[in-house]
Amino acid sequence: MNLADKDLPPLGETLLSLRHVSKTYGDKHAARDVNLSIPRGSIYGFLGPNGAGKTTTIRSIMRIILPDTGEITMAGRALQGDLLDRIGYLPEERGLYRKMKCRDQLAYLAELKSVPRGEALTRADSWLDRMGLGDYRDKKVDSLSKGMQQKIQFAATFIAEPVLVILDEVFSGLDPLNIELLREMILAQRDRGVTILFSTHMLAEAEKICDSICLIEDGRVIVDGSMDQVRDEFALHSIKVAWADRSSPPDDLPGVIARQPIEGVWRLTLAEGSDPAALLSALTAAGRLTFYSANRPSLGEIFLAAVARSRQEVSA
Amino acid sequence: MRKVMTIIRKEYLERVRSKSFLIGTLLGPALMSMFIVLPVLLSNTDNDNARTVGVVDADGGILTLLEAELSDMGRENLTLVPYELGPGGKEAAITELKDAVGKEKLDAGLVIEEDFVKTGEATFFNRSVSAMVMRDEVFRPALDRILREGRFASAAIPDSMFTYLSARTDWSTFSVSTSGVQEKQNEEATFVMAVALIMIIYIMVLIYGNHTLTAVIEEKSSRMVEVLLASVSPGNLMLGKVMGIGLAGLTQFGVWAVAFMAMSQQGVSVGGFSLDVHFLTPLVLVSFVMFFLLGFFLYATLYAGIGAMCNNVQDSQQFNGPLTMGLVLPMMLLSLVLRAPDSTLSTVLSLVPLFAPVLMFMRVCIETPPLWQILLSWGLLAVSIWLAARMAGKLFRMGILMYGSSPTWASLMKVLRD
Repeated sequence: MNLADKDLPPLGETLLSLRHVSKTYGDKHAARDVNLSIPRGSIYGFLGPNGAGKTTTIRSIMRIILPDTGEITMAGRALQGDLLDRIGYLPEERGLYRKMKCRDQLAYLAELKSVPRGEALTRADSWLDRMGLGDYRDKKVDSLSKGMQQKIQFAATFIAEPVLVILDEVFSGLDPLNIELLREMILAQRDRGVTILFSTHMLAEAEKICDSICLIEDGRVIVDGSMDQVRDEFALHSIKVAWADRSSPPDDLPGVIARQPIEGVWRLTLAEGSDPAALLSALTAAGRLTFYSANRPSLGEIFLAAVARSRQEVSA
Repeated sequence: MRKVMTIIRKEYLERVRSKSFLIGTLLGPALMSMFIVLPVLLSNTDNDNARTVGVVDADGGILTLLEAELSDMGRENLTLVPYELGPGGKEAAITELKDAVGKEKLDAGLVIEEDFVKTGEATFFNRSVSAMVMRDEVFRPALDRILREGRFASAAIPDSMFTYLSARTDWSTFSVSTSGVQEKQNEEATFVMAVALIMIIYIMVLIYGNHTLTAVIEEKSSRMVEVLLASVSPGNLMLGKVMGIGLAGLTQFGVWAVAFMAMSQQGVSVGGFSLDVHFLTPLVLVSFVMFFLLGFFLYATLYAGIGAMCNNVQDSQQFNGPLTMGLVLPMMLLSLVLRAPDSTLSTVLSLVPLFAPVLMFMRVCIETPPLWQILLSWGLLAVSIWLAARMAGKLFRMGILMYGSSPTWASLMKVLRD
């Protein structure tokens, strides 16, 4: 192994770093000057709508495509050659050899990550046991259910004991039970010190699992930081209220810039720097409150706000 | 390099362990010998079919001579039915004869005119083309001889003079190699062996070349490409695949070669030809291995490049066809090269890398072209493989991630230009 565990940075410090990575296809900018610092031992959410440039950036990390400009390093070294063996990658487009036996398949993929053959076979067996697929060792992938195949793909991603794992839209197409199972396995790997780059367009899923996030839109990083940092930065002051004796909020609430009915209550968006105390008294004065909640902003709300902010900056 | 070995191992074992490999290995020689032996057998069966030919012999003396000639020629399958000249004379006999041919009672009818030795006139009635073949192969030479003998006899030329005058060439054929050694050779066996070896090159390159095409497409259709490219470079992935599949092909050929050697040791003959190991000079053997390997790698690499562009086998047809023509065309040009192996046209054609495995190897088998031409064709093949590998690698990197849209010639050209 080229990259020994002792060469890794301490937990929490930057493991993977992207500097000024850009890639264009014709006149389309798939990635514009992307800068990322992914801390070791965290689950790092790489978020954005479809077509935002997530997969392009990931493929650049894996050197499947070569970026036009920029520098990508892992533990301070240029990312290439044997160093890639320490990264597990589960792409969105993923599959298995249908006619190959489960054990051979896992061992083959481990060997392609430079695990010696004997060791690869041992690990394949232990992963199959851990996944509850020990009985399917010598069965062809064809005979497995879709859920089982996903478990095999997941095992294949982790079998070479990577220090960094990239999961691209890993939950898409899974039922809630399997999502829960996978989430537990991802968290367990994180707790063992594995760094996870979790790419998805499903913000609600990311919210439940990520320690840090980065939001990307139109090839550009628009938000980047730990979950808490980001929430503080976009402490979007939105509250939800409902009254027993009125169906809509009064027009003259101080500091409220938007109102929207949601699931039987009203969501009020507050201007930045407005005084929550003054609002609360205005709300109680308007009628008898049956519901009041000052929500932390959801990732979805943060994303919308960040997009708006970024567009202002671009046009300015 | 260890990863390439891993890929070679997987591709090799996957093929060698498959049922189709076992079946192919067993049936291959049977199918191939059919290509060679069947035409020979078919041309021989002509002798065995019973044929009935009605004969009107206006002279009355020729029929007996003709029957003697036929038995000399070993044509016992032909039965001659005499049509006697009755009260209606010759005309009535001919009418009766034509009627019998028309009603399929006879396969053909033959009329030997009066004074045959003087006029040399005969008439033939036939219903099918195969009867024409019978006329040309059997009756023409037989009657020619009778005519000649008759005229010699009427000119009162003694038998000894007749034998002397009708002598034929007595051929001895030797092949002279560059080292000057003369070997008496069996022309027919050499030709059959050469064709057999060319068929092996042709079939193996075609089958295993197509294997690489489908193997690469499989990586795309099974959505494994991206997982694999996260571990190996496109070049190494392709190298491993082509080598693994090539080794499987060589294994199959090895099995056949051993079986063939064992058979020829036992003196087994196929379709009347004894298997002539004598013909396998070191040059022919080395050339065979070289053209087999170089041809396979050239086509396999090109096929792999096509596979990288396409999402399924249907997509690949439009590119597959022209490439396969590269293999089929030289088979069609084979007779041209056979007729004049050292003509400028043959030399140029056999140097074209896509044709060389078939055409240059044929030339090596039948006339031993100058060594520089053989070496040049190997060199050209090697350079082409290198170019093809570069091109295919490019297509691999670009095309392998092109899901969705079907490739066109235009998009192919665009990728190659970029």
